[in-house]
Amino acid sequence: MSSNTDFEPKIIAFVCNWCTYAGADLTGTSRLKYATNVKIVRFPCTGRIDFLLLLKSFAQGADGVIVSGCHPNDCHYTSGNFHARRRWIAFRSVLDLMGVDIRRIQYSWVSAAEGSKWADLVNNTVADIRALGPYAEYQKVADYLEKEGYNEEA
Amino acid sequence: MKKLRERAAELLSQGVVSLVLGYEEGTKRPRPLFCRNSVNAEKLIFDSRCIHNLAVYITKKELVGKERFAVTAPISTLRSIMQLFVENQLNEEKLLVLTVDLNGELREFTTFDEIAAYVAQFELKRGEREQELLSKIEGMTREERWKFWMEEMSHCFKCYACRSACPLCYCSKCVVEVNRPQWINPWPAPLANMEWHINRAMHMVGRCTACGACGDACPIGIPIDLITRKMMEDMAPEFGYIPGQPAKQGNALSTWKLDDREQFIR
Amino acid sequence: MSKIGVFICHCGENISATVDVERVAREIGGMEGVAHAIDYKYMCSDPGQTFIKEAVKKYGLDGVVVGACSPRMHEPTFRRACAEAGLNPYLCEMANLREHCSWVHEKSEETTEKAIDLVKMLVEKVKKNKPLDSIKVPVTKKALVIGGGIAGIQASLDIANTGHKVILVERDPSIGGHMSQLSETFPTLDCSQCILTPRMVEVAQHPNIKLYTYAELESLEGFIGNFKAKIRLKAKSVNYSTCTGCGACIQKCPVKKIPSEFNAGLGTRTAIYVPFPQAVPNKPVIDRVNCNYYKRGACKICEKTCQVGSIEWDKEDEIITEEVGAVVLATGFDVKGTDFFPEYGYGQYKDVLTGLQFERLASASGPTFGEIRRPSDGAVPKKIVFIACAGSRDPAKGIPYCSKICCMYTAKHAMLYQHKVHDGESTVFYMDIRAGGKNYEEFVRRAIEEDTVNYVRGRVARVYEKNGKLIVKGVDTLLGGEQVEIEADMVVLATAGVANCGSEQLAQKLHVSYDPYHFFAEAHPKLKPVETNTAGIYLAGACQAPKDIPETVGMASGAAVKVAALFSNDELVREPVVAVVNRLAPPLYSTCVGCFMCETACPYNAIEHEEIKGRDGSLIRNSARVNQGLCQGCGTCVAFCRSKSIDIQGYTNEQVYAEVMSLLND
Repeated sequence: MSSNTDFEPKIIAFVCNWCTYAGADLTGTSRLKYATNVKIVRFPCTGRIDFLLLLKSFAQGADGVIVSGCHPNDCHYTSGNFHARRRWIAFRSVLDLMGVDIRRIQYSWVSAAEGSKWADLVNNTVADIRALGPYAEYQKVADYLEKEGYNEEA
Repeated sequence: MKKLRERAAELLSQGVVSLVLGYEEGTKRPRPLFCRNSVNAEKLIFDSRCIHNLAVYITKKELVGKERFAVTAPISTLRSIMQLFVENQLNEEKLLVLTVDLNGELREFTTFDEIAAYVAQFELKRGEREQELLSKIEGMTREERWKFWMEEMSHCFKCYACRSACPLCYCSKCVVEVNRPQWINPWPAPLANMEWHINRAMHMVGRCTACGACGDACPIGIPIDLITRKMMEDMAPEFGYIPGQPAKQGNALSTWKLDDREQFIR
Repeated sequence: MSKIGVFICHCGENISATVDVERVAREIGGMEGVAHAIDYKYMCSDPGQTFIKEAVKKYGLDGVVVGACSPRMHEPTFRRACAEAGLNPYLCEMANLREHCSWVHEKSEETTEKAIDLVKMLVEKVKKNKPLDSIKVPVTKKALVIGGGIAGIQASLDIANTGHKVILVERDPSIGGHMSQLSETFPTLDCSQCILTPRMVEVAQHPNIKLYTYAELESLEGFIGNFKAKIRLKAKSVNYSTCTGCGACIQKCPVKKIPSEFNAGLGTRTAIYVPFPQAVPNKPVIDRVNCNYYKRGACKICEKTCQVGSIEWDKEDEIITEEVGAVVLATGFDVKGTDFFPEYGYGQYKDVLTGLQFERLASASGPTFGEIRRPSDGAVPKKIVFIACAGSRDPAKGIPYCSKICCMYTAKHAMLYQHKVHDGESTVFYMDIRAGGKNYEEFVRRAIEEDTVNYVRGRVARVYEKNGKLIVKGVDTLLGGEQVEIEADMVVLATAGVANCGSEQLAQKLHVSYDPYHFFAEAHPKLKPVETNTAGIYLAGACQAPKDIPETVGMASGAAVKVAALFSNDELVREPVVAVVNRLAPPLYSTCVGCFMCETACPYNAIEHEEIKGRDGSLIRNSARVNQGLCQGCGTCVAFCRSKSIDIQGYTNEQVYAEVMSLLND
């Protein structure tokens, strides 16, 4: 897994509408620059973010995922982020048990006032994923039906 | 065992219950018995070989009917029954739970609290097989775990016996049957299998009582029960519950604490 | 097949400078299901909106995607345009090409490709959108104003004068806030009390205002138009319905040495007290922390003095519930104390004061009756030094922002000093003079030119005491960094304005956002300065950021108008972004199996139990049902539902799934 400078990681970001989406808006309003690799999908709340969406992202070729919402106690809906936090604790544990590379999922709290934090988060995550390389291990399995199949290597 | 047969016959003949769900001798091991009359009660057995989790049948109205019924339950089944109570799937007025305690005495329960008080004295421990396999998995690197599970998963042909055997998989429409959108492909393929099992583990967080029924049911012997079991062992200290002793209020994932761990959140 | 219209905005050059908008429109135009795709300079302009409306009609569009700015900015604009053209507004979505793309990336191939991906994502989402009807909810036409300073007073009066009821809650025993503590106000030097007290009285007498002093918000539940506020009425220990406010108890109270909050610690008060003579209501409370009876179980002198038997020793805090439709937050600010500054003596020198303390010295109702005297020995200071930006604009102190009011009040202080001590010498150390505002610059010039205040541009490194004098060591940066040393009799620090204590906890109770300094956050820095991110909760005054009186009053009136506008309708139209539990044909009726795990997950108690019954009345199944009035649309239940039986309108499983798939499918 050597870092590849030509490799442009595909990263998808699941963010809540009230804090991180607004924070990313502020990044724009403040004209702070960041890498183009990350595309944002808007959710009402981190509580809405289904773990299956994260799985599907990897299956569809994402090399990394960002999940971000309001800081604890700041949730627009009081406790959606607390529920999300629990879900992520469990999800990370399941993934790690199954051998999925949990370093590729970056969780964060970015508030509506943290435009620069969002830019840093994106840039740092892109750098981290670039260093990890493409998530070929997972994508190869995902392509099973179309291509030759998992057992070619084994 | 004699007391159990007598009591079952009594309950049926007096019309207290319309069905006693229990075990009878099978060809290789005990099998479920749907005992609907006092004559059949003679066939009932209850010993350490009776591990089939009968709780899987008690949420199915077409099997147990609308009348009151009884179920004979070893500890693992009692745990499942407790969790089903928590999930609003059982009616205390329609269920009578029978078990034989360590002294050979017949015990009867009708409420969650009664079962909880009885189950509290039994600690949930890993058996030899679980211990051996789990320590092997725990000793692996992440890449090795991925290879191990992918190898196991590549044999899975999605018969969904695991789902059918699990007393807590009582949904009328499973997520794999949801097709708008089609979250998980229903056919067997390594990734679709992996997604199904990750999904199953997530759905079991805070609910699985480690009865092992899913693993026993797997026709090709994938140790899938270890996934949910390991999750339970890891999440119990994290979320503050005792493995195998479902708490009455709220599931681990649908509740939260202010000081839940968040070191992994940047 | 869908007929989607896609409209790409240049936003002047804001988008087109870095994104090849024509290519975006061209490539999207080739997408399956896209019937029409164009780009235009300003989609939000009248001609731009007309393009959309005409295209909806001409092509019979069943979905619209506008690739422009953030949906948080213009989603309502474009949805309205679609509705006017006869398309259900919820079939319109926005791709954020400005804030999330053109403004954050350089001009490049990748930037344009990202823009294309973002639009594609929304096109795929829109294909799965369903027409939705907005939800109507009743509005409780009563407002809750939190904080009884000038902001809260103004907001309350303005709302009350539109004919609506107001509940005003104040933490202290009297309304008035910081403005009641001020001596004179800039730039006119009229007396603060003289202009404030009539308004305080008006609040107390207004038939539409219910005033709760010595009270705090306990909790707030509900949503815009339908809040339920629990208010803690702290025990005053005095029965206000019988108390005449004669003040005899105050004179007889033996505990007299309590530092007076109103006088910023420069004077004293008793344990049973009215904070200041013009207080509203002008009736005392007992400070239970300092009262002899509550401390030691004996005294009760006030009870013996009281002619009408108004003392209530056993009175407990009372919690009342009020239903309100809107909330105005007007909790104000606080100033840093002198103890915040090690370089100026950690607050140990008695003659180093804060600006607020100086106000009390200069006030005719203050501890010295308006004479400027040193707290240490009562002498009139002959040399006085004012230090501006004490803490403010100092990242090292954690306060990088400008406190805004200090330049003006420091000029006022120096002027007042010169007016009162004719042979005195005053020096102001400043970083910059920020005197933006009507007649403000003129006011500062007057202080410098007419009142001969010595303005020195430079910082003060240290203040220390020597032989009864305060040695001020500073630098004059206009004279090439020359050292300046002044032997002063008094030093006044224009300490930074900070968020009021407890503002973080209050924000959390109300679910409004706050900035890193705990000032409440407005919904938009320019266009929504009085709104918060939580609908129905508005901001007034210095709780949002330090500001002076005219600005505070203007903002309070602004918040009041927002409330009045909300109350002008009997019903409020709400976004239909709510969760729904599926209902299907028999024999399934619903895929919900009634495990009710969503019930514990819901922050709003919006999940109800429904018994689905057959024609013969027999129970078929227990299912969850969502109360649409209570549901706020967070969707936590959706992600939790194992059988995917709950979905949330506007962010359905199908929609978000399509978005994710489109982003990654190349």
